[in-house]
Amino acid sequence: MRSATFLSAALAVAAAVFALALLAARNDYGYLMFAGFVVLQYVVLATAWNILGGYCGYVNFGTSAFFAMGAYTVVALHKLGGNPGRYLSGTLAEFLIPLFPLSMPSMILAGGVVSGIVGLGMGYLTLRLRGVFFAIATLALAVVLQTLVINWDFVDGSRGVSIIRPGRVSVGPVSLSYIEYLFLLMLVLAVLALWIARLIERSRLGFGFASIRDDELAAEASGVPTLRLKLIATTLSGALMGMAGAPLPYYAGYVEPSATFGLPYAVNSIAMPMIGGTTTWAGPLIGAVLLGTLQQIATVTISSVVNLLIVGLLLVVFVIAAPVGIVGLIQEFLRAAAPTRANLRSIALIAIASYCFIAGILGIIFSVQAIQAGSAAVAWLGVFGLSAGALCLAASYGLLKLQAWGPSLATVAFVSAVLVALAQIWLGGGFFQAIPIVVPAIAIWYLQTRDVKLLYRGCTQPVAA
Amino acid sequence: MTPMLQVKGLCKRFGGFVALEGIDLDVGKGERLGLIGPNGSGKSTLVNCICGTLHNEAGSVRFNGRPLDGMPAHKRTHLGLARSFQLPRPFASLSLLDNLRVPLLYTVDRRPAAGRSARDLEGRCLELLGLVGLETQARRWPRDLTQVEMRKLELARAMAAEPTLLIADEVMAGLSHSEVEEIIALLLRLNGQGITIILIEHIMSAVMSFSQRIAVLVSGRKIADGKPGDIVNDPEVVRAYLGQ
Repeated sequence: MRSATFLSAALAVAAAVFALALLAARNDYGYLMFAGFVVLQYVVLATAWNILGGYCGYVNFGTSAFFAMGAYTVVALHKLGGNPGRYLSGTLAEFLIPLFPLSMPSMILAGGVVSGIVGLGMGYLTLRLRGVFFAIATLALAVVLQTLVINWDFVDGSRGVSIIRPGRVSVGPVSLSYIEYLFLLMLVLAVLALWIARLIERSRLGFGFASIRDDELAAEASGVPTLRLKLIATTLSGALMGMAGAPLPYYAGYVEPSATFGLPYAVNSIAMPMIGGTTTWAGPLIGAVLLGTLQQIATVTISSVVNLLIVGLLLVVFVIAAPVGIVGLIQEFLRAAAPTRANLRSIALIAIASYCFIAGILGIIFSVQAIQAGSAAVAWLGVFGLSAGALCLAASYGLLKLQAWGPSLATVAFVSAVLVALAQIWLGGGFFQAIPIVVPAIAIWYLQTRDVKLLYRGCTQPVAA
Repeated sequence: MTPMLQVKGLCKRFGGFVALEGIDLDVGKGERLGLIGPNGSGKSTLVNCICGTLHNEAGSVRFNGRPLDGMPAHKRTHLGLARSFQLPRPFASLSLLDNLRVPLLYTVDRRPAAGRSARDLEGRCLELLGLVGLETQARRWPRDLTQVEMRKLELARAMAAEPTLLIADEVMAGLSHSEVEEIIALLLRLNGQGITIILIEHIMSAVMSFSQRIAVLVSGRKIADGKPGDIVNDPEVVRAYLGQ
């Protein structure tokens, strides 16, 4: 696909997402905008992290520093804009005062510029370091910048600063609430970040980045200007992270250093690409949507405290079982199961494995909620659901890894999932009750077909109908 | 006429260890030079200093009359100086085709009037892989290769930078007799196209048959430099190799 086609397709998907979100938000699901904003913010952060971490192989632990620099640039501009005459004087003021108050897009841009400059500076100072030393340096950068902001009175230091969100905004003919407006902007940023990532992947720059990740000495010997390329990566990655952080003060209404420079941003932006897969633009997208959504679901079902626990557990599981991430797993599966061309069988199996994976995680989250909050019967169902969820996760792994036990385990997992769903209906709880019965039933039938059995016995050639 | 590569008084130390001491070496355009010496004599260090992977403390390196001191390695590659590594260092996550695409994109395509389409580029990669007999594996990954194939890939990648001076650092180690002959024939063919070649090798028969001139390094010093026939009879070289 050409990159112009990709951009139009991405914009079309974004428009559809926005239309759906708007429809839901205006029909009593207003929280969806708040939750969706955070997920999109992680899409931008994960994609930005991946440009340096995934493409170039330089692990950045300082995501929160860049993110917070974007947020605090906006805080500073907001305060400046409130009373520019007080802070600016002379000829400079004549030029600058008419510009205030700045619109949100230009503040996002400013946040991106500041973080991009921080990224360039950090790159210049630290890129001669490799591996773990570079990672430690980025962590140190976050600490240094946090200390600076804590002691910066203009943005109210460690007290934090409150910002009153403006009222409605008109975008073209549509009047949006400010949260809807921020959601829209973040959606555009996500498309921009993904487009840039994909553009890099297919270009000279992408091959240069890959050569740096694999072997810097050999890259230099092949004529790749490694230092310049690494600086491009840190600047671009930093700028996108800053842009992701810029709307935060208006979204949250209150920012303070310890939360803005918080660990969750750094951990998530590493975990999401690692879990999704670091070699393509799709990896961070999948990882961010998956983990971001799971965290939002866990926040409303269990508690926001378990968010990082989920990320941590999944990261450990993936690093051990599937270091190539979800995209890597699927690519490996396709290479083994359909070497020449993706066929219906391989696509159906990927769909089943994906369903199995998502059902497994959701099953575990809802089961924990049931154990915590329900009556004795519900709690016992929760315990059973927990094991069914674990079975589903193992089965999805077995299916994608073409293990001989994959289909049988998946069948067992699906049967127990159906039992849980039936019990839930009987107890009168749960939602979307039809889906966890119909889909597993179809999957169980499909897994027993001869075609699938042959594949898992080591015969990868598709059988003629 | 000034030599293509001119090394003068090159010194390199690692802490207190003197790896190279006052190396002088001239290589003429189109020449085939063999560089030999026992293990640890400084051959690879010399290559690293010439190519910019290491920086020398004293002395100078000139390429086509142009001083290279302080110039980063990739710029030297752009000038037409390419090398293969003694231990193969392929780009592990890229297919063989893309392994060659990197130097083509960053070295050849940036030269004026070289603008090629993606298809041309792929054709050129396949052509280069064909030269070393790896064209059938173009879409596979370096992890699928044997050590020998890895060395061939290393050589092909160095050639992809379209060098005027190619430094082949032990490309034949571990190769069978017929494969050595194959690589020698390939290098001779490249030399016939006007590429100057410095061959570092332990397989004496290969060095002797390939080189027009041989330089011998021992303990960081150049102890001999001359025609292959003279080198084998040089008493100092014999002493260094046989330990008399």
